Amino acid sequence: MQFNRDDSGLSLQSEINITPLVDVVLVLLIIFMVVVPLLMQGYDVDIPRASAVVVPAQAVESQLILRIEPTECPILEPPSGEGLPADCRVTLNDAKIPASELSARVAQTLGGRPPEQRLLFLAADDRLNYEGVLRIIDLAKSGVEDLKIEFIATR
Amino acid sequence: MRLGESAKMQAAINITPLVDVVLVLLIIFMVMAPQMRKGPDVNLPNTAKPSDQGDERGRILVSIDDVGKLWINDQQIAPEQFGDALRAAAGTETDPRVVIRGDAKLNFRQVREAMIAVKEAGFGGVGLIAQRAGAQGE
Repeated sequence: MQFNRDDSGLSLQSEINITPLVDVVLVLLIIFMVVVPLLMQGYDVDIPRASAVVVPAQAVESQLILRIEPTECPILEPPSGEGLPADCRVTLNDAKIPASELSARVAQTLGGRPPEQRLLFLAADDRLNYEGVLRIIDLAKSGVEDLKIEFIATR
Repeated sequence: MRLGESAKMQAAINITPLVDVVLVLLIIFMVMAPQMRKGPDVNLPNTAKPSDQGDERGRILVSIDDVGKLWINDQQIAPEQFGDALRAAAGTETDPRVVIRGDAKLNFRQVREAMIAVKEAGFGGVGLIAQRAGAQGE
């Protein structure tokens, strides 16, 4: 390992000090062992009991209902690639809007409210693909921080 | 300082085998980590910006696989026993948190029915688990 030199001072410096490398690798090992298998990401949602889909009266005026119908947003199969199909349209209260505008519309309507009133009711059709619905939730949430989402039954 | 040349050469511990072993362990854990999850293999939906749902420990994992079978943690559960099994899984824990890992291929109906079952078993909100688009794993 060491070069034989006449000068013993030089031969002492000829090895790389790998102790810091070992330190870093050990710490990485511990991090991967403890953290990686257990972290999850997702969306918090509420669902009212199926029997009691009653919205409090004082909330009726300001409530925001997002409806997703398979006839307007064709996501019956898992959407390919990222995002949603370009022809996907959703109904926000009574206005039909392209899904690409959803984030801005939700932000415009709910952004000015206090955080506890940032509530979006979501009525998604049963036939829709789950991944497509989650991507629409993702769009709605990206406009407003702390957006609460509550599922309601479709009519 | 009349030490012999050979004595000086043995003064450093050879840590190359140690580094080898640690690197191999690191790689094993990196590869095995996704398979150490509880429950069945679920192809999670890809979305752009899922928020952090924290740690798997202390949560009740409800999984719905690609054929619509329900699992609680590691066990497959018949739909009619779902509520009882969920309460049993919660045990005496105060404010247990339920997360649903649904397969990307499912219909929304299958996930909605599971959410209603969770709600009727007496739990509050649920977390719908997704995977950040482009991320590796699972």
